[in-house]
Amino acid sequence: MKTEKIVLSFIAVVIGLAVAGAAFYLYQTTKTIPESQTRTPSLVLTPTPKPYSSIFLTVESPKDEEVFDKKTITITGKTEKDAIIIISTNTNDEVITPALNGNFSTTTTIENGQNQIAIIAVSLSGEEKKIVKTVTFSTEEF
Amino acid sequence: MKKLFAFCFLLFAFCLLAQRANAIEPNQTKIDKTIDLVASIAAKLKLVEKRGIIGVVTDVADTKITLSDLNLNTRFVDVDEFTKFSSPSAKEGYGISDIKKGSKLGILGLYNKQSRRILARFVDVVVIPKMVEGAVLQKDEGEFTITIVSEDKSQTVVDIEKITKTSFYDKKGGLLRSGFSKIEKGERIIAIGFPNINKNSMIASRIIHFPSIPKNPRIRLDLEKTTPAISTGSGKKLTPITR
Repeated sequence: MKTEKIVLSFIAVVIGLAVAGAAFYLYQTTKTIPESQTRTPSLVLTPTPKPYSSIFLTVESPKDEEVFDKKTITITGKTEKDAIIIISTNTNDEVITPALNGNFSTTTTIENGQNQIAIIAVSLSGEEKKIVKTVTFSTEEF
Repeated sequence: MKKLFAFCFLLFAFCLLAQRANAIEPNQTKIDKTIDLVASIAAKLKLVEKRGIIGVVTDVADTKITLSDLNLNTRFVDVDEFTKFSSPSAKEGYGISDIKKGSKLGILGLYNKQSRRILARFVDVVVIPKMVEGAVLQKDEGEFTITIVSEDKSQTVVDIEKITKTSFYDKKGGLLRSGFSKIEKGERIIAIGFPNINKNSMIASRIIHFPSIPKNPRIRLDLEKTTPAISTGSGKKLTPITR
């Protein structure tokens, strides 16, 4: 009788552990970790600055080779706060100044087919940076 | 005996539970597979996008055009029976056989991100204005031409015609109307126009000069060499040392 009690107790402990393990396993498989708590190794690629150009210019929109179905497009980007920005399309030119944080935005009109948009930022010292984008106006569906 | 029955019941219940836990896993795998399938279809859908490029023809074959784009990258363009060709100078039908090396083409089509090729839907011969920026090196008031020197030291003779729209930039007023007579040597300038093949120059359609903004420090003008010598007041003139 005493031996039977000991065996049963031992088996009960094993079963208890097994059930607890199974419950833990189920909990782990159904648990979702919020994205903010996950850390993924990220490789930050910074473009190698050209040694001879101190002024920076980035154009967020339009993207190069982008196709538009409207003739009025928005040009946005960032440069130095004291710079002037010259925007020249196939048919017209515009000179604008950025906001205090260097951001700039303007609208321009493009022609049918392919257009080249030159965006030039000129600093107070006279240094300049030029970005040329090709954009296309087309309403064709394909 | 009752205890043994109880034990057997507990064991049976545990086995059932374990079986259920195993049964969840294949379902989870199926869900994962479905998610992967949907993701791959979505990726395929984004693999192709509409794009428009401009380039100069470097090679033409039966169904392929090779271009050099604005950034001097080589671009491969495929054409098929649905591709439409046009040229402003062509009076009759224009096709791939009429395309010659050196032609400037505008391509509108479907760009495949994987193969990096464009399946052209529209191929047009385009005339895009040329932009020259730099500083005014010379000004010929008789011929109404100016010579612009650029950052890469290249010089471009620009013809000012009646059609040329000349403006200057003022910090307060923005772009204001100007004229040939107001353009000064050494000023920062931008000229937009079309090549004049006969004269090896450029006919300007638009000119903007910037009197209030210094010229690009990387542009070296030879104007300094022609600067008159400074007088000391004693009749002897100081001559700059030239190396």
